[in-house]
Amino acid sequence: MILHPVDTLLSLVLLSILFSYGAGRVPILIKLLAFQGIVVSLVPLFTGHDMEGGSTVFTIITLAIRGIIIPLSIHLAIKKVAIQRELSAIVGYKASIICGLVLIVAATAISSHLNLAAVSNFRLLFPAAISLLVTGMFLLMARRNAIAMVIGYIMMENGIYLMGSTFSVRARHIVEFGILLDVLAGVMIMAIILQNIKQTFDDVDTAHLRTLKE
Amino acid sequence: MVEIVFLAPLIAGFLVFFMPKSLGRQLLVGTGAVHLLLSLILWQTKPSALLGEYFAVTPEGMLSLLVISLLFFLISIYTVSYLKESNLQSETMFTGFMLLFLSTMTMVTLSDHLMVLWIAIEATTLASAPLIYTYRSSASLEATWKYVIICSVGIAMALLGSVFITLSMDVAGLDSALSFSALTQVAEKMDPLWLKVGFVFILVGYGTKMGLAPMHTWLPDAHSEAPSPASALLSGVLLNCAYLGIFKINKIMHAAGLADFSGTILMVFGLMSILAAATFILKQNEYKRMLAYSSIENMGIIAFGTGIGGIGIYGAVICMIHHSLIKSSLFLSSGNILLGYGNRLIENTGDMVKRMPKTFVAFFSGFAGIAGFPPLGIFIGELFIIVGAFRAGHYLFAGIFIFTLCVIFAGFANQVMKMSFNSSSEQAGEFKEKASMVWPQYILLLTSLVLCFFMPDTLYQTIVDAVTAIGGGLK
Repeated sequence: MILHPVDTLLSLVLLSILFSYGAGRVPILIKLLAFQGIVVSLVPLFTGHDMEGGSTVFTIITLAIRGIIIPLSIHLAIKKVAIQRELSAIVGYKASIICGLVLIVAATAISSHLNLAAVSNFRLLFPAAISLLVTGMFLLMARRNAIAMVIGYIMMENGIYLMGSTFSVRARHIVEFGILLDVLAGVMIMAIILQNIKQTFDDVDTAHLRTLKE
Repeated sequence: MVEIVFLAPLIAGFLVFFMPKSLGRQLLVGTGAVHLLLSLILWQTKPSALLGEYFAVTPEGMLSLLVISLLFFLISIYTVSYLKESNLQSETMFTGFMLLFLSTMTMVTLSDHLMVLWIAIEATTLASAPLIYTYRSSASLEATWKYVIICSVGIAMALLGSVFITLSMDVAGLDSALSFSALTQVAEKMDPLWLKVGFVFILVGYGTKMGLAPMHTWLPDAHSEAPSPASALLSGVLLNCAYLGIFKINKIMHAAGLADFSGTILMVFGLMSILAAATFILKQNEYKRMLAYSSIENMGIIAFGTGIGGIGIYGAVICMIHHSLIKSSLFLSSGNILLGYGNRLIENTGDMVKRMPKTFVAFFSGFAGIAGFPPLGIFIGELFIIVGAFRAGHYLFAGIFIFTLCVIFAGFANQVMKMSFNSSSEQAGEFKEKASMVWPQYILLLTSLVLCFFMPDTLYQTIVDAVTAIGGGLK
């Protein structure tokens, strides 16, 4: 049985997800994020139901924003303030990788039970989207580092995009572009706050952000 | 052309960034006035939008828009005096983002498209984040960070929910536009399973923004760290915008015949919020945080009322309008108190009745209104909700509801009494209460008071139109 090119790409995404569970340094996470961003914006080209000029242009814009601009802006934010690059994890890396494996297997199992048109054509689509989403949430919760939280958020958004752009063709480009802009602006604002956190606390460990309670 | 209502403040907002301070202040009030005028015209004429696929004038949207517009105009008058008193470093940023915030919130009220609504609500987060960071302290930094992260992640959930709703059309093999009017028409044929999943995600997402427990944790921080005019906007109108998102989705659920499902979830989230607010309000030692928890309580009441259905939804909308009017006046008054005492702790205030008599009148009557003294607006709304709950047979829920309201009333009253009549511990400098810093509150409270006894027909009709679409009404 021959794999569809989309499934080949998506299997690489799944691999990168496993890597991101084990990544202990921020630069690696950013590279993984860029790779996922590129694949996620390319997939709709293959699954697309219509191949007009408009959607190609849109793919290029998405690719530029998700694959290049967003990872680059986080990279720059870190570089500018020379943040220490090691992550401090709440859940250890080995345990994280096992979580990731369980997640991917579970997502694949669920996906085979769903009766969706897009899922039956590309078997790895649903597992990849769900895994991206949950991995993003995992990074948000299990790493005590503000940058890892931003990266987790973007990973979540990538997962949602993968789902939204392939499952349904209704949300058309203007709207998707608006969503993209929102995410971009959100990441920019987060990057600015990151720099301010670093300047104020001299660190990005979120343990410093615990004064406001009740 | 409907779009001009949100384009005008957008342009004005960007202009302010390049203007000197005094001109920026004038533009702020001017835009507020123009916006109010445009909203009134929109209310009267109800034109159709240029981009009809994405925007529309709906009764529930118009209600929120009018509240936003009135509040913003009054708050902008207050803001000018507040800015003169408080000497902010980054004043142009503050005024500029106030206007951008207004623009994005207006867009929320006018959007009639599943995804455009999402874009607009996410944009409100981005436009208001710099407002919270105005004081540049480490605490405000933390509040901003929490706000941006929690709300962004929450709203990402709402995006996922929206995707699931489009999926529920795919599965059922439907082909319709994604505008709410179109979705409501085809709702019956949509796949119920995916529609339910979508609703839950959207409720969690917009519920985060609305301040429903347990996703409310950003709200007290953001409201207490932001400058008071911004807190008034956040509490008075931003929360309503998020509620509007839930309201619109609930419309689809109602049309699909899944109102029982959505109602139960709304009631549970609503009660959880009221309970959370009750526990924290009792031992609260900062007055702005106390007001923030009261907002969580009121959002809980609104969600609970919406979940009950029937007369409860009417009560919820009444509560929403009065909460906006009264809570924004309370936050403005809290700005005076902060300027007067220079402190956010309740124990460091006191003797307000002598030291700031005009602010005291506004703050105390605001408290009476928000706590639900009969026969004021919130009381009427709550009464409708309780009646609705009994009619629908939710005796246990109604019991918890009434009990927690009493607890909150007691806790709130206790703190306000301390602030008003306790002898003040330290002698702060004299604070002159300028007319422009108390009149906006008086007008807001007076509007609320008048609406209790006399509601214009057009307003009443609009409320009824809005609530009948999700199965509410006065019967």
